[in-house]
Amino acid sequence: MPHDHDHSEHEALVIEDEAGNIEAQIIVDALQEVLIGKGLLTALEVTTAIAKLESPGIHLGAQVVVKAWTDPDYRARLLSDGRAAVQELNIPVTEARIIVAENTPELHNLITCTLCSCYPRSILGQPPSWYISKAYRARSVREPRRVLAEFGLDLPENIQLVVHDSNADMRYLVLPEPPEDLERFTLNELEELISRDHLIGVAREVV
Amino acid sequence: MKRFAAGDVVRVLALGKTGHVRIPHYIRNQIGRVTAYCGTYLNPEDLAVGNTAGRAVDLYRVAFAQTQLWPDDMIPHHDTLVIEIYDHWLAPAEETPNAPRP
Amino acid sequence: MENDKSPKGYHDVGGDPAGDIPMVDLPWLHWEKQVEAIRGLLGDGTRRIVSLDEVRRGFESFGVEKYNSLSFYRRRLEAMTDILIEKGIVSRAELDEAIEAGTLRWTDVDTPS
Repeated sequence: MPHDHDHSEHEALVIEDEAGNIEAQIIVDALQEVLIGKGLLTALEVTTAIAKLESPGIHLGAQVVVKAWTDPDYRARLLSDGRAAVQELNIPVTEARIIVAENTPELHNLITCTLCSCYPRSILGQPPSWYISKAYRARSVREPRRVLAEFGLDLPENIQLVVHDSNADMRYLVLPEPPEDLERFTLNELEELISRDHLIGVAREVV
Repeated sequence: MKRFAAGDVVRVLALGKTGHVRIPHYIRNQIGRVTAYCGTYLNPEDLAVGNTAGRAVDLYRVAFAQTQLWPDDMIPHHDTLVIEIYDHWLAPAEETPNAPRP
Repeated sequence: MENDKSPKGYHDVGGDPAGDIPMVDLPWLHWEKQVEAIRGLLGDGTRRIVSLDEVRRGFESFGVEKYNSLSFYRRRLEAMTDILIEKGIVSRAELDEAIEAGTLRWTDVDTPS
């Protein structure tokens, strides 16, 4: 069933059109049916697994960050063993290890996966489409400051930029700096300050 | 027995391996400094061909100076890149100003 | 600088020249979640039928044309089916038969039975 894919002029992202999405739905349904027929999985397992995939998201990352901002002992534990600290908040983590990269006034962190799209999915859910694009993966390691500028972040040269390429078993979250006047916010208000862009590192200031 | 410790200067080998490897080309033959030991993990080169019985391998985080990786580009000297490298892709190297400061 | 004489995989793009970053954030569709769910189940501790590393090897071996022409989750779906067929877990024939039946059902939706 041939159909066109939309190739954006910036060569970066292939997006399925409606025919492509229908075709893919048919194929995955067919695959699922064949696998169920062989007793390798059940439909209930698939729907349960989908629900589990849908539950993580930025709200979980924001909870972790706010806890680190407001509890120095937790922050220390988070920086020492990210996975264990995230699990303390009853957030299940499937990745082998989580490394939390802390921003400071002198340092900024940026996360990427040049080889595919590794990302702390069990905490944050799926990465944004741009994170998976060839352009981000290719340029985030080579010209990260230009990449940040494209996201509206002009990082002063005196701030050290550390790029983390998640190529193997570690997964990364950026811990942004807290707002200066932390005390005037409620915990909910603090959580709302944090976006996915902060946790990947393409945004720096939370206020 | 771990071969490397944080602070060690290392070179990423160009092993010329085909098939599934998790060491990007841009980092091969580069000199960096170990920042952390990550633990032992099954080798993705084995897992990719369904071999789950291979030897587990030490994994390290290694930092590189961006000016070293991209010498033709204008980059602030303190900018670094950190990536995970499996033990068999690493060899000890002499201390050098090209590696990030410890 | 030539970093390694072995051929660079087409997926190994770190440092390559590239254009502007597409500032899009597409919704995650049901079939895409289904692909991830199935892959996760097949790789879980009770099954260990297909691992993430095998799926990666799958899309790294497609060939550059196929890799560049498929969306991210379609690549995962294609890679997973390639590996399942390679390992003899499913056959191309039975999968094609199920796809054909599914296609007919889809196109017959408006036809009274």
